[in-house]
Amino acid sequence: MKSCIKFISFTLLFLSMFVSKAWAEKVTVITPYLAQPGTQMYVEGFKNEASKKGWDLNIIDTKGDVAEVISRIEDAVNQKVDGIVINVDPSQIAAGLEVAAAANIPVVGMDSGADPLLVTNVTSNGYAMAAETSVYVANRIEGKGNVVMFVFDAFPPVQIRGVIADAVFGNFPDINVMDRITPDVQDGGIADSRAKMEALLAANPEAGSIAAVWAAWDQPAIGAMQAIEAAGRSNEGIVIVGIDANPQARDAISQGGNFEASIAQDFVGIGSATANAIGRAMSGEEIKSKVIYVPTVLITSANVGN
Amino acid sequence: MKILNLIKKYGTLIGFFGIIIFFTINLPSTFLTAKNFINISQQISMLAVVAFTMTVVMVMNDFDLSVGSMASLAGIVAAVLFSMGYPIWIGILAALFVGIIGGLFNGFLVSIIGILPFVATLGTLTMFSGFAFLISGGRTIFGRDIPSEFSSFARSGIEISSLGLKIPFLSILALLILFIVWFILEQTTYGRRLYAIGGNTEASFLAGIKVKQLRLSAFALTGVGAAIAGLMYSSRVASSNPTQGSGLMLEAIAAVFLGMTMSEEGEPRVLYTLLGVLILGVLDNGLTQMNVDSYIREVLVGFIVILAVAFSSITKKRN
Amino acid sequence: MQKLELLNLTKSFSSFKALSNVSIEFLSGETHALMGENGAGKTTLIKVLAGILKPDQMTMKIDNKIQNIYSSIQSKNLGFNFIHQELNIISYLSVAENMFLNHPYPKKYKTIIDWNKIYKLSSNALKELGVTHIDVKKKCAKLSTGDQMLVKIASCLIKTDTNPTLYVFDEPTAALTLQESEKLFKVINNLKKRGAIILYVSHRMNEILQISDKVTVLRDGIKVLTDKTSKLSKEKIIRSMVGKDLSDNFPERTGNINKNIVIDVNNVHTKNIRNINFKIKAGEVLGIAGLSNSGQREIFNMLMGVDSMTKGKISFMDQKYEPIGPSDAWKKLISFVPRERRKEALMLKMSVKSNTTTPHYSKISKFFFLANKKEENLITNNYSKKVQLKYENINQPIYQLSGGNQQKVVFSRALASNPKLLLLDEPTRGVDVGAKLDIYNLIIQLTKNGCGIVLNSSDLSEIMGMCDKILILKDHEQYKILENFKINSQDVLANFYESKNQ
Repeated sequence: MKSCIKFISFTLLFLSMFVSKAWAEKVTVITPYLAQPGTQMYVEGFKNEASKKGWDLNIIDTKGDVAEVISRIEDAVNQKVDGIVINVDPSQIAAGLEVAAAANIPVVGMDSGADPLLVTNVTSNGYAMAAETSVYVANRIEGKGNVVMFVFDAFPPVQIRGVIADAVFGNFPDINVMDRITPDVQDGGIADSRAKMEALLAANPEAGSIAAVWAAWDQPAIGAMQAIEAAGRSNEGIVIVGIDANPQARDAISQGGNFEASIAQDFVGIGSATANAIGRAMSGEEIKSKVIYVPTVLITSANVGN
Repeated sequence: MKILNLIKKYGTLIGFFGIIIFFTINLPSTFLTAKNFINISQQISMLAVVAFTMTVVMVMNDFDLSVGSMASLAGIVAAVLFSMGYPIWIGILAALFVGIIGGLFNGFLVSIIGILPFVATLGTLTMFSGFAFLISGGRTIFGRDIPSEFSSFARSGIEISSLGLKIPFLSILALLILFIVWFILEQTTYGRRLYAIGGNTEASFLAGIKVKQLRLSAFALTGVGAAIAGLMYSSRVASSNPTQGSGLMLEAIAAVFLGMTMSEEGEPRVLYTLLGVLILGVLDNGLTQMNVDSYIREVLVGFIVILAVAFSSITKKRN
Repeated sequence: MQKLELLNLTKSFSSFKALSNVSIEFLSGETHALMGENGAGKTTLIKVLAGILKPDQMTMKIDNKIQNIYSSIQSKNLGFNFIHQELNIISYLSVAENMFLNHPYPKKYKTIIDWNKIYKLSSNALKELGVTHIDVKKKCAKLSTGDQMLVKIASCLIKTDTNPTLYVFDEPTAALTLQESEKLFKVINNLKKRGAIILYVSHRMNEILQISDKVTVLRDGIKVLTDKTSKLSKEKIIRSMVGKDLSDNFPERTGNINKNIVIDVNNVHTKNIRNINFKIKAGEVLGIAGLSNSGQREIFNMLMGVDSMTKGKISFMDQKYEPIGPSDAWKKLISFVPRERRKEALMLKMSVKSNTTTPHYSKISKFFFLANKKEENLITNNYSKKVQLKYENINQPIYQLSGGNQQKVVFSRALASNPKLLLLDEPTRGVDVGAKLDIYNLIIQLTKNGCGIVLNSSDLSEIMGMCDKILILKDHEQYKILENFKINSQDVLANFYESKNQ
């Protein structure tokens, strides 16, 4: 019996030596939001770059649980990885960042928000994106009319978009923000946004009573478009804009309907830029800027085909 | 034959040590270290508190599905009060108060109105979650709104300088709650009565146990436990999110079930619940360190829970 | 089928003979009443016919041909039907659907359910019984219990392949009103005219005399009488049911009844019982007797505070007593041994200790809330010894004990508070003879110590053997109290069957 156990444990030990790969830099990516399409594209860009560099990569999804991000950072630190990438508001995981800092393991934010404990944060310029789409709306409706906003203040990168749009619309005396809706995002945000928009349309039956819909990301914009179509009011000229320019949004824009514009973030580019940043940090280079911006493009029917 | 009986009785425990041995072999330098186990203790502390207090109602064959959203709500209540400038102790007391009230409401529905616990707490799960969204406006409350004294609690602990280790306050708090629940269930007449209710509700009533009052109070205890876990969570992430506790309920119930496989007659015991929580925590920690894909990790954890419960119900049936 | 014969039917449960060598002949077109006290063997006989119990020995002949019953399906195929008090009606289904529960639904084109045919067949079946007032499309929930029973009976007529030959009615009128019973009797008569055999079990003497053609009486598993009803009288049937005086195998009562009154129940009503009046002195045993479900359980519910009083007053130990629940009753030193041990008294998976100490935690504790393990062990050991419990240790789960020993745990729990009043609801039900005697001795021991006792038992000999006076219940109302102990069991039994207006 004893010798049997000994044999098994030695075999396992022997095998496990083969399992752990030959020496490679270990990088762990931790995100609570892997189910989101945007996040998947970051990760895709990151993976491409990481495989070029030959890293031993571990991608962890905590499915919305922020505290678990801290736990997994602790595990990664304990495992003595060479670098950590996070995709969540750094102020909420300060406990984990401190542990990493104490172990001298660099942590880079991938579209997460800036924090002193991060080497740097790679992102799109959310202020600029929101400014571009809200100004587009204001110009299209010639500075007057009722605007519906879809926002999501719980997620900081989206929250700042709302702030900018508030400021832009507030600067036009004849633009009235008639509702500032936070949709339920558990199913992705389309269905609930559509329901909320339908209710709003029902409450404002006259043509022209809603001039535009500004959405802080694409899903609510698509939901609003569906609601407008279902209500048979697509010929009222309601202007819809989103942010992110996901495939569904691009498709809608190319139809030339109410959904007129969105901003394309370069998610894959953010992913690969993040990989470059963590690579530089791991090699000991000091990165001066706490934020690295990756350029964005306004998508309209004019350039959607490209 | 004796070995077979041993496996029957301690199957889950043996499985737990099997898991530890497996990880120790595969992660020779990092797994079986004091530091890693302190990490684990901190990582599971919130789940542990919920599972311990969940044990209190499960002793009576009841359930509380609302613990997760109660944890969210309690965290939000405290954070909103912080953001309004109230001192920390008021925020904490208010959150605990919300826990008691919510738990009493569950108990009221179950024991006075007579709704099945599954249905009643499913309803309050949604209600509490709705309140959490309502009070916070759907926002995550973070940053300057959360006093640093509050969030630093989760980052500090008792230093043991001779070993270079720090025992986190979160782990100590969970241990304290473990002790309290153990004391209530195992050392007081109150606990004796709860077990009697679980053994046979009607017989307990006819034997002079005030079943209604006891169920009511037990649900209140579970509510407070959920609120404490919510505060711990908020402190750990230095923020409060209206969905923060949603993962806790299922895992807590799983932990109690894992624990129940170890008791003689299948009744919940809080020390066994601790073992259930440890199994879940160790699996998460070890599999992460082994670079196992997070989704495969989830499948594995579910499978192991089923395996343990199935094994115990098969062997107990044969008995 | 003309004739159904059961010959030499014997069935025993371990050492206990439920039926020995019983032979009965049933003829078609005849209502045959089966009578006997509880435990006489009626239920066993019915279960054998239903194929639920396998007899040790029996020859069954149908029209002089030997037949066997090995399973309930076979019993059904022979055309045997059983109507119990509990009807297994699914209340949210319609009358017709309930009637077709055990039959394949007729179908159109072999696929769609042919509802018209179902409705037609089921209303035809009801019509054959002479029942026209029931709408077969109605939900069964909207029917009275009596009508539900008629539906159940009619559903036996739907089968096309086998004609029902035997109908067994087991206390069918227990839950019916007088009018509903009358309707049922008409239906039974119709069945009889169709040539069926009716086996009718009831405790209600007047019914038996009214509708039966023959009566068979069982006593302790032995057939003691079969005769035409016309040749029998109520008195004769009762005498043969009771047989010899059974009270002589009870231990002798010693000790005196004290003058102090333990409990004085004065004209008490609850929502379930009416006009309850009795006094129990220290050391006195009050028996409760009556047909089953006449309010026995409800008297205990009243005394334990489960049902609150709506009228009247109780004084207990010279103090006003208005129990707000069992916890209050135990606190005032009233102990209770409920009827259904497994359901109402015991936590089966828990230890002897937990089961013994449960009602007494507030007494055995330190600082009001700390469990006092030493005291718990002491009490459990003491009282287990007192009731002569056979067990391994006090932490043994109770499901490992025999029925008699489980009941002893319920007793030791009841004694552990030194009660002033002990309530016993069927204390010897399902308990073997040895344990029974132990329990009787315990009761006598308690009366010596001045405890008052309320004893309900459906075993009349137990009431006769143990009690000082007997409260007779009828239709949830106190009928009378028999104080004179010289009365014999036939007189007591006769009281059950006297209707109030007689």
